[in-house]
Amino acid sequence: MGEKLTIDSTLRCDVLVIGAGGAGLRAAAQIGELRPGTKIIALTKVTSPQKSHTTTAQGGMAAVDPKDPVDKPIFHIFDTWKGSDCSADQNVIKKVCNMGWEEVVWLERNGMHFSRTEEGRIPKRPFGGHMLNFGETKAFRACYEADRTGKGIMDTVWNESLKHGVNFIGQCIATEILFKDNKCIGAIIFRYPEGKFLAILAKATIMATGGKTRMYLVSSNCRGNTGDGLAFALHAGIPIMDPEAVQFHPTGMVGPGILASEALRGEGAILRNKDKEPFMERYAPTAKDLAPRDLISRAIITEFREGRGLFHEGHNAQHVWLDLRHLPKEVHEKKIQEVCSFFKRFVGVDPEKDLCPVTPTAHYQMGGIPTNEFGEVQTDTQTIIPGLFACGEVAAASLHGLNRLGTNSLLELITLGKVTGERVVEYLKDAEDPEEISPDAGHIVFDQFSTYLNAQGTEKYAQIRETLRNLMMEKVGIFRTEKSLLEAIEGLKSLKERAMHIPIGITSLKANQDLWQIWELNNLITVSMVIAQGALARKESRGAHYREDYPERSNEFNYHTLVSMPEFNKITLGKRPIDMSIFEAKGERFELFDYIERKY
Amino acid sequence: MSKSYTITLEISRYDPDTKLSWIQTYQVEVGGILRFVDVLRKVNDEQDPTLAWASSCEHAQCGSCGIIVNGKPLLACELLVRDAVEKFNTQKFTLKPLNIAPVLRDLVVDLEKAYDKVHEALPYLIKPAPPHPDGDEYRISPEKLDIYVEATRCINCFCCATACISSHRNFLGPNVTMANIVRLMDPRETAKEERMDILYREDGVYRCHTSRACSFVCPKEIDVSHFLALGKEGKF
Ligand SMILES: Cc1cc2nc3c(=O)[nH]c(=O)nc-3n(C[C@H](O)[C@H](O)[C@H](O)COP(=O)(O)OP(=O)(O)OC[C@H]3O[C@@H](n4cnc5c(N)ncnc54)[C@H](O)[C@@H]3O)c2cc1C
Ligand code: SF4
Ligand code: SF4
Repeated sequence: MGEKLTIDSTLRCDVLVIGAGGAGLRAAAQIGELRPGTKIIALTKVTSPQKSHTTTAQGGMAAVDPKDPVDKPIFHIFDTWKGSDCSADQNVIKKVCNMGWEEVVWLERNGMHFSRTEEGRIPKRPFGGHMLNFGETKAFRACYEADRTGKGIMDTVWNESLKHGVNFIGQCIATEILFKDNKCIGAIIFRYPEGKFLAILAKATIMATGGKTRMYLVSSNCRGNTGDGLAFALHAGIPIMDPEAVQFHPTGMVGPGILASEALRGEGAILRNKDKEPFMERYAPTAKDLAPRDLISRAIITEFREGRGLFHEGHNAQHVWLDLRHLPKEVHEKKIQEVCSFFKRFVGVDPEKDLCPVTPTAHYQMGGIPTNEFGEVQTDTQTIIPGLFACGEVAAASLHGLNRLGTNSLLELITLGKVTGERVVEYLKDAEDPEEISPDAGHIVFDQFSTYLNAQGTEKYAQIRETLRNLMMEKVGIFRTEKSLLEAIEGLKSLKERAMHIPIGITSLKANQDLWQIWELNNLITVSMVIAQGALARKESRGAHYREDYPERSNEFNYHTLVSMPEFNKITLGKRPIDMSIFEAKGERFELFDYIERKY
Repeated sequence: MSKSYTITLEISRYDPDTKLSWIQTYQVEVGGILRFVDVLRKVNDEQDPTLAWASSCEHAQCGSCGIIVNGKPLLACELLVRDAVEKFNTQKFTLKPLNIAPVLRDLVVDLEKAYDKVHEALPYLIKPAPPHPDGDEYRISPEKLDIYVEATRCINCFCCATACISSHRNFLGPNVTMANIVRLMDPRETAKEERMDILYREDGVYRCHTSRACSFVCPKEIDVSHFLALGKEGKF
């Protein structure tokens, strides 16, 4: 490897969006709408924003129509608080839930192809943990486009950004964010096709790189969800909030873990064990199959442990059944068409006739880059970093606390995406153009790439990737203990070291998949370490974080975890208080917004 | 264990540095329920880390992994080994990149370039109709939506464009043309004239000669040529 790594050229813009997914482009569209002519560049790893992972979201986006005769925003606010196991921020919950419906209307007016009721209106379906009258009965609250709601949303925000002249750069990775006098001034990116580094200077930068659960053996996430954004934020000294909060969705298709949406259970599907027993009745007598995800995932693993699971030979994995056979043909064909076709194609079963094998799949990370309710990124002391914003799954405001309700993520992307866009427009009023990049810009990625390109070890990329995925699934998965976490941390240290020596196939920089994947694997190991460290520090069980050695929730841990790791395994832990503003305002039913018991 | 197969892959390769192309053969032992993306990953893991291929969601919702297998454009994530053996009645497969954009390396093509055409179809609502008097969503009857809803499922994988001989020359292509037709059928779009200009322009819908190859290959089973026919008839 003789090539010297250098920055090929510098681009300038007003706003740089790192991550052209649902959240990033909702923000971009808002900026375009409020401030026409703003020069926006939006980056994505895939070939078009349309292919971002938001496009795979299935079930729906929660929103309460203020004219709804039975549902009210306050019920949604309560459900989100309770669903989070009392660890989300009440100012954020309130803001997001109150904005939901106007954002559904925004999407629809801008061309989203929602399904329709007989009256020609947007239909709604029930989803886990969403209930009427403070937890009494299921609410119809998830607005949907068949079982491809994410595609409808992604297409719409991509289209609107296109309309406002946003400049998309695909097939690239942002590798580090740039600062001058503590202000964010843009990022370094690396383009896959030409193998070139570019610097992008911007007055404001929005991080919206999305999810990151590819470190788990079974995951519903796309190939590129490797936690890049968190990794370079950590490197820049920014903490990650609540990293231990990883959501396992109870119904991944056995095998690769492709998602079988909760919408199926919303439409009436039932989970059954080996004896065909509808076992959720035992774990959540009221909500049953529509209990929140953390509860159902633990119930399934408990069924496995107690010998009531099944074994899938082809995929060498345990599973339970999802029963859809009793649903009307019309539902199969129109409302859950995509997921039914996934079962047919990927598992070879026909949901109209056969039971479908499902198992929990790593799905979503509640934690992320800490922001306030306006999408402004905060340091470990809650100081705002000028010029840097974050929204979407990579960020934690926090709407979900330690557990997210289904359909609340699409809601978050769109509402907080918009809010972030508005804040950026405010910020641009007196923001100045960054002058120049500092001479050492790019050194982080140059060092990384040089190491990878010159490595001479023998242990292959695949071995390390597989060891990581098994380690995280077993030791930092649905059930955790101090012992398993300490073992995971030791394992991760060793993997980090071993990953420096992976022999590389191609040393050219052009379209080098191997290089790109080794870089991603390092990010996965980095993010895995903060997940394990956060999980070790939280000696209680709350939401999706379950410690077998501390099975109860404890008031001692009524705060958000902040984990900083500027260098690998150099950990500093911090705390951020949980916002209790609804409780503190002492308004109607305020007592429900205390640290209440969570039963379904 | 479910049935295993020993399959032979003949893969078109291309090196952007030397500009050389060649065919490379791999033999792989795989379980029948693995997808072609899993097979390609297995080749990377066990035999050749240099082989480049594309994918993202790996469950047929993003359209990043289109390739040509034994002459048919399809999504590598959707094709299970046992189905491929049955469908093509062989255990030998030729894998080629899609031919609608420049090859970057091996099976990876520059779809970003192909998307430039999608942008030309102006996939957004150019001029949305005024809002409903109640201030909320437009009313669209389910019957009306049913007429064009299938076309909204397109993921721009460009399999149809690869199969369509016209689209290689002077045709915007089936998926791009359909994106415009969707908005012509969408009751919320008022800029119909501008859309018709795109539909009937030189490289517009009349370049389609109704071979139906597009409908035949579409992994989402969209009857693309039906929508193009409606476009030609002006039925929207
Ligand atoms: C299968 C599935 C189904 C789901 N269903 C639902 C649902 O029904 N309802 C719901 O509310 N939620 C659902 N979710 C969750 C929700 O879809 C996601 O949380 C959400 O789409 C994330 O959106 P985002 O904009 O933050 O990120 P994404 O849409 O993932 O976009 C991230 C963008 O950042 C880019 N990027 C990443 N790293 C880099 C880098 N280093 N450099 C440059 N660009 C980068 C990516 O390429 C992409 O363009 C689902 C999730 C999955 C996986
Ligand atoms: S119409 Fe079908 S084949 Fe063509 S791009 Fe769309 S999804 Fe792919
Ligand atoms: S029917 Fe028309 S668009 Fe479809 S493949 Fe044939 S020529 Fe192309």
